[in-house]
Amino acid sequence: MALTKVYNAATAFKNLGGVLNVYKPAGMKVKHVRNAILNNICKGLNKMEQREPGKLREGRFLGTGTAADPVLHNIAFQTDQSDHVLSAGPRYLPRDLSCSTVSSLGDHTSGVLLFGINRGTGQSSSIRKSRPVRVYHITGRLGSATENHLPDSRVTMRANHRHVSADRISGLAASIQASHQRKMFELCGVDLQTQEAYELACKGLLRPADESQPVVYGIRLVHFERPHFTLELHSINETQEYLVALVHDLALELRTAAHCSQLRCVRHAHFDVRDSLLRNSWHLPGIIKNLRHQRDILRAHNQQHRVELKAIH
Amino acid sequence: MFCSAIRNILKNSQNAAKYGAISPQLRNLRGQGVAQSEVQVFKSPDIIAQQNDKETEPATQDSFKEVALDFGNREAHVPSFNLAAYVNKSSTLQQFISLGVDLHSIERRKGLGQFVLQLDFEKNVKPFITFLVDQGISPDDFGRMFTKNPLLFKEDLDDLQTRVDYLKSKRFSDEARQRILTHNPYWLMFSTRRVDRRLGYFQKEFRLSGHDLRLLATREPNVVTYNMEHLRKSVFTLREEMGFSPKELSALVVRKPRLMMIPPDDLVERFSYIHQDMGLSHAQIVQCPELLASREFRLRERHEFLKLLGRAQYDPQKDMYISPKTIVEGNNFYFVRNVAKSDFETFDLFLRTR
Repeated sequence: MALTKVYNAATAFKNLGGVLNVYKPAGMKVKHVRNAILNNICKGLNKMEQREPGKLREGRFLGTGTAADPVLHNIAFQTDQSDHVLSAGPRYLPRDLSCSTVSSLGDHTSGVLLFGINRGTGQSSSIRKSRPVRVYHITGRLGSATENHLPDSRVTMRANHRHVSADRISGLAASIQASHQRKMFELCGVDLQTQEAYELACKGLLRPADESQPVVYGIRLVHFERPHFTLELHSINETQEYLVALVHDLALELRTAAHCSQLRCVRHAHFDVRDSLLRNSWHLPGIIKNLRHQRDILRAHNQQHRVELKAIH
Repeated sequence: MFCSAIRNILKNSQNAAKYGAISPQLRNLRGQGVAQSEVQVFKSPDIIAQQNDKETEPATQDSFKEVALDFGNREAHVPSFNLAAYVNKSSTLQQFISLGVDLHSIERRKGLGQFVLQLDFEKNVKPFITFLVDQGISPDDFGRMFTKNPLLFKEDLDDLQTRVDYLKSKRFSDEARQRILTHNPYWLMFSTRRVDRRLGYFQKEFRLSGHDLRLLATREPNVVTYNMEHLRKSVFTLREEMGFSPKELSALVVRKPRLMMIPPDDLVERFSYIHQDMGLSHAQIVQCPELLASREFRLRERHEFLKLLGRAQYDPQKDMYISPKTIVEGNNFYFVRNVAKSDFETFDLFLRTR
């Protein structure tokens, strides 16, 4: 596909639609990210070539019967000053763009955040409805537990962690994963040792029908360096609170204490953290480039999104 | 169809009394409606529908034209939310637009739209423009200045002259005065007594010499007319919470007066990061006040990147010294190439792991 340079704001606006993959920094609310993106888009559009103010309508002056009057005649061919950018205000405002988040991230979570912009809002809701898996890298810090399980609150408990090794964390992670898988089948009302369960498992991932319950599909240790450990977690319907509580419980199970020092979403459906838009390129050219890139990804994986949902009773 | 449209309009007008302004036109419309219905009565119903349409169409067109004209006249006396509605009628507003004044942002502030509308360009605006040109202000800045402070036209010209003379008497140079007037359009709104009191406050608070005070006022003219309450709060934060000594404080304030206009909470957050995490002393911060003026996330990502590369070494006595000033200078690309001496892909990857 040949790319052409665009100087006209209207053309740029027309091409501004689709799914956007933004890297949300930790400590910034989703609302603020959204506002920053929309404001930057509008700033970019308003800096481009604008539509010229329209001409005054002739018909208004013909009615008075003084078309021959040179003054009125001049006015009739003048530009309409009330349409000037300085009097009518900027051509593009954030509220002219429609924007929807595919699913939210907590304040302390960083990583992939998907937005549907303009005609991408439909795509974004279809992604949301297909309930794709999100992958997180969660870094925990052994030794101290805090009140809300995040580093910025009061320490409630300290514990020794010399007995914790990578093997023990991996073992516990594997057992958590197994119990979650078993729970899914139990919620479906099938015994794990039956033909029915086998057929369900053959159809692919067993997904929850609604957004009520978090489900963990995989959890494993990817990095361990004495006080810090990093877990990779695949899940659906999770929230930040659920993830930090999981780390806390995991540490208690290991006979120690831990809090979450970093939460990072590395993948959401097919949208990887490597393609996400960093804060230093949240400007119009970057955003349009990213939209184009995500459109290619979406096109390549279009079939996978139409997964038949399996209900849990 | 036309009749039903009129009926709708009438229904609306009954519901809301606020449409009072267009009631004369409605009466006009009502009259036309009656006339049309008479026409219909006059024609016998046997006539073919097409002919009937042909008869009525010109009538409706005429009436539409009249209505459009009426609405055109309406602009002049019906209140509007926007100045844009009056721009085509008012030569003053058109002149403002050619000067580059943003009417859109003026009308969003309370009372200013009304005020601007009452101005007469020749009488109220021109003398001020000549006055400003006499002060050596470039015409390119007029648009921005009048957008910020249209109430300048309310002031007395003699007062303005006095205020400029006051600056002259305080030995502000020509360039300094130009800079002050262009960068802070509100300065001229303040009486000489008030400006004097404020300059006195800064001089006493930081024990500044006359030269330093002039430097401060010229560097950031907005500080002098800033909200006093905010200024006191940030000076308290700088002195008591961060613990700068009086000498350091005056050096800091003269170098970067803008620090006093930053919300104190942000300032403390930045300071604690610079002082505790980056380990810079007060003296080093005074040497480089730009650190305090840059946003925390920017400092954080750059410092942590340097730490990752093992280059975060801010002690000038040792090897591989990196001046703290260069951390906040320039865009990311400049920083990565010239300060961190790395490549942009590495920096990108690093940012994606945070």
